[in-house]
Amino acid sequence: MSDGFSILERVVLQAGVRSGVLASNIANVDTPNYKARDVSFGQVLGTEMGLATTDPQHLSGSGSGAAGEPRTGDAQPWADGNNVELDQEVAKMTENAMFFQAGVTLLSKKVQMFKNALRTS
Amino acid sequence: MDSFGVFNVSASALSAQRQRMNVIASNLANAHSTRTTEGGPYRRQDVVFTTESISSRDAGLEGVKVDSIVRDDSPFKTVYDPGHPDADKDGFLAVPNVNVIEEMVNMMMASRAYEASVTSFNLSKSMFLKTLELGRV
Repeated sequence: MSDGFSILERVVLQAGVRSGVLASNIANVDTPNYKARDVSFGQVLGTEMGLATTDPQHLSGSGSGAAGEPRTGDAQPWADGNNVELDQEVAKMTENAMFFQAGVTLLSKKVQMFKNALRTS
Repeated sequence: MDSFGVFNVSASALSAQRQRMNVIASNLANAHSTRTTEGGPYRRQDVVFTTESISSRDAGLEGVKVDSIVRDDSPFKTVYDPGHPDADKDGFLAVPNVNVIEEMVNMMMASRAYEASVTSFNLSKSMFLKTLELGRV
């Protein structure tokens, strides 16, 4: 029962971190020599799980942000060294947002289930 | 984790692209200005972007800012126009080094980048609004 919660939590957290990295890519579409970044699931797990073992309620700010790895390039960089493909980044961000919203919806359905269980007993 | 830093990332992009539009608008407005306060025709300007770290707590967030506004040092074109008051003794007139077609393309690109950042901002906002529904059952 609590396993279902923690998987969903991780999914939602990862989507949240990824949205920050994708927003940074979109913001830097015209910055010379900027390389597009992305977050892998393992990275977020590594930092977030470390914090969870000490005290799940207390999220300190230090070191909890995944900087993201450079996306391995199929994209040819532009002449100024920038390799951000705007259409792809916007599509990924939209997909990520829907993923996040699906995760949150599932989480709230789970909470609702528990609440119903408590009510009927 | 910096919860609202993602909004500052998008906002920095909106601000930077707007400054770029201002510079492009100046270039277009002065495409035919043969007199300036420094003497000589108008010299084209351009912006240089650089990344700007939005949050010290979250290394993943990088916004953008205008590093500097530089003058384009490519040489002026000359046009034969002896009737013009600013023409030299041979009748040649130095005109600004602004290429209107190029400026229009830059303007379209700045506008596209601006729209993409607005989309990114709205997506982040919808994600946060969805989170508020967690407590509401």
